[in-house]
Amino acid sequence: MENFTALFGAQADPQPPPSALGFGPGKPPPPPPPPPGGGPGTAPPPTATSATAGADKSTAGSGPFYLMRELPGSTELTGSTNLITHYNLEQAYNKFCGKKVKEKLSNFLPDLPGMIDLPGSHDNSSLRSLIEKPPILSSSFNPITGTMLSGFRLHTGPLPEQCRLMHIQPPKKKNKHKHKQSRTQDPVPPETPSDSDHKKKKKKKEEDPERKRKKKEKKKKKNRHSPDHPGMGSSQASSSSSLR
Amino acid sequence: MAEKFDHLEEHLEKFVENIRQLGIIVSDFQPSSQAGLSQKLNFIVTGLQDIDKCRQQLHDITVPLEVFEYIDQGRNPQLYTKECLERALAKNEQVKGKIDTMKKFKSLLIQELSKVFPEDMAKYRSIRGEDHPPS
Repeated sequence: MENFTALFGAQADPQPPPSALGFGPGKPPPPPPPPPGGGPGTAPPPTATSATAGADKSTAGSGPFYLMRELPGSTELTGSTNLITHYNLEQAYNKFCGKKVKEKLSNFLPDLPGMIDLPGSHDNSSLRSLIEKPPILSSSFNPITGTMLSGFRLHTGPLPEQCRLMHIQPPKKKNKHKHKQSRTQDPVPPETPSDSDHKKKKKKKEEDPERKRKKKEKKKKKNRHSPDHPGMGSSQASSSSSLR
Repeated sequence: MAEKFDHLEEHLEKFVENIRQLGIIVSDFQPSSQAGLSQKLNFIVTGLQDIDKCRQQLHDITVPLEVFEYIDQGRNPQLYTKECLERALAKNEQVKGKIDTMKKFKSLLIQELSKVFPEDMAKYRSIRGEDHPPS
């Protein structure tokens, strides 16, 4: 009994590391882990369930299976559903992807004056630079008083050419008109030149047989004057070809 | 929600218009236009104050940084929205394809495993319940 109580007491003591438990004297060796692939026709060892049963309560009654997890709920939102329709973004999708979105910034902000289509890095007006190097600001905007306004007395006369660029606004509206005009005009002018082309071509076509005849006549004349003086057969053939 | 933006838009438009008028005054400055210039300068200050006040209402608005790149390059920011939607749909389709393929693979695997391990797969089905392989 003393030995048993001693043993019981020893068990009640803080537990030694698991490795010591596993390889303690008199204990059976641990079951071999199940083979990863599992041979065909061999069921996994039943000890596998007992090993994992404690780890995961959901797999308690999983029989010969281990590492079984609960399936994700069917109500969970996944990529198998069309997320654009799910979030009611169909209208936005049709709006932006259905039509061709115009490329330029001035098409998005047509009323904004100035050359806004130029890259911001050109004139240090980029929004990125505002974030990367925020300007030093005071806590509030104060009106400019009389003494401060004296600093804004300007010289009379127009600005030099290079400084006027900011106020020149050649972009969209004029271009649009031009485009419209060109669009309206485009169908008309091509017709006229095309007609004239046709006429020219027709004239050419009409002229062509005449020219051929003239050329052939010249050739005939030349041949008559030439010392070789070919036979009649060839001239007949040429005349017959001209008839064709 | 939209009111906040309308408010800001209104102030921004006024501000831009004031700047434009200031530009006109400055581009061909006359001594008589000094009073107008001073007035415009103070309009700009009040305009900035108004825009600054709008900040309080727009604290919960987040803007993706990529949009700024579009604007800085002089491109229409709607193109960003368009590309975002297209990318989202493409990714959505890609993931759907993966899920569908995995589902097919699972059903085929269950089908084939049922041939080799009929008893175990019967147990498996009893645990899973719904997971009957498609016939």
